[in-house]
Amino acid sequence: MGFWDTITDLVEAATPWSTADADAPAKESTEEVTAETTQEEASSEKEAAEAPEEEPAAEEEEEEEEEEEEEEEPEIVDPKEQLEEECRNSKQCAPVKHHFDECVERVTSAQANGETAKEDCVEEFFHLAHCATQCAAPKLWSILK
Amino acid sequence: MLARSCLRATRAFAGARNGAVQITKRAASSSSSGSTAESPLRLNIAAAASTAVAAGSIAWYYHLYGPNADAMTPAEEGLHPTHYPWVHQQWFKTFDHQALRRGFQVYREVCASCHSLSRVPYRALVGTILTVDEAKALAEENEYDTEPNDQGEIEKRPGKLSDYLPAPYKNDEAARFANNGALPPDLSLIVKARHGGCDYIFSLLTGYPDEPPAGAQVGAGLNFNPYFPGTGIAMARVLYDGLVEYEDGTPASTSQMAKDVVEFLNWAAEPEMDDRKKMGMKVLVVTSVLFALSVWVKRYKWAWIKSRQIVYDPPKDVRH
Repeated sequence: MGFWDTITDLVEAATPWSTADADAPAKESTEEVTAETTQEEASSEKEAAEAPEEEPAAEEEEEEEEEEEEEEEPEIVDPKEQLEEECRNSKQCAPVKHHFDECVERVTSAQANGETAKEDCVEEFFHLAHCATQCAAPKLWSILK
Repeated sequence: MLARSCLRATRAFAGARNGAVQITKRAASSSSSGSTAESPLRLNIAAAASTAVAAGSIAWYYHLYGPNADAMTPAEEGLHPTHYPWVHQQWFKTFDHQALRRGFQVYREVCASCHSLSRVPYRALVGTILTVDEAKALAEENEYDTEPNDQGEIEKRPGKLSDYLPAPYKNDEAARFANNGALPPDLSLIVKARHGGCDYIFSLLTGYPDEPPAGAQVGAGLNFNPYFPGTGIAMARVLYDGLVEYEDGTPASTSQMAKDVVEFLNWAAEPEMDDRKKMGMKVLVVTSVLFALSVWVKRYKWAWIKSRQIVYDPPKDVRH
């Protein structure tokens, strides 16, 4: 984030052993590897005996990664909403939240009594949202990638 | 007082013009003697009338312009977005190209069904977001018109890198028809085209409340969003947690997707940003060196002029 990172980035970029590819780095996909191994299987039995051992290992790793991702998915909670909820209930936003709650109570009770509400709580909502986002912004950016 | 003192001064100074001074003096004294001759009643009436006119005009002016005329309610203005500490907006920072890649994925899987990105060709994606092969493969998924052939027919061909990203609708009318009369804007320059830029779009995408605040009027077919001027926006909330599966395994929370897609849209609007900052740094470095050099040269050239001493040695034995 800071100035030092900039310098390290520059040094990294300038070093002769660093690479920057516009194209994807030439990496053989696992499918090709498996295809080759099957060919080897057909050609010689000894190599075939070794190759399948490697194959399941690679597959297992992939499966593990997938499982991890699947495990993460249901747990995804939007950090923004979480942080803003905390901020809304914090001491910093207590006055605006008080105003908003009061307004909501006033309007809903008026609506419940069958009257047409003479006001809306948009302005109070704005003040509350402004306070909450302002408070959550730096924390949110420290979490997000 | 001032006039009188001036008169006195001129009299004191210019004795030759005494006659003229005398005339002006006489005129002044005669007018003052005339006003004292008016009856006090008429004077009082005149004073009261002028006071009434003055007070009336002030009251009328206040009536016109005094009270606060709220032309816009806060709801009509829209909530101003909070400033977020975008990394790519810092002086020494470039776009995070992994974020751009994720953002492009979000655009393609979510936004592209309604919003065009008509000013971005596939070739712009190469090297910044996609590799050549990926971009080519992506371009070939779409069909574009060819040049007219020998019979004058326009045929279809698969896309090339030089083609532009296809729009979801044929024209604006089709887009309006498909979206209940609302036109989804082109996103190529949207970051530059909206007040608040990145902050606004991020806030808009993530700012949909679960339900509008009590008493708020939401029009038919509209959704409540505090950041949209007028608070009624035709676009519903589209980003939900886990909507997109990122290839780099980043948890796709709503705010993460919004952040990525906003950074991507900033790139789309300003692809030259990285180069611009680099060039700016070069310019600053080179000009500061040249400036320092020019200061040194100037001092060098002027050194003998500045440091010389001119001595006047008067002749000693001079007799008058």
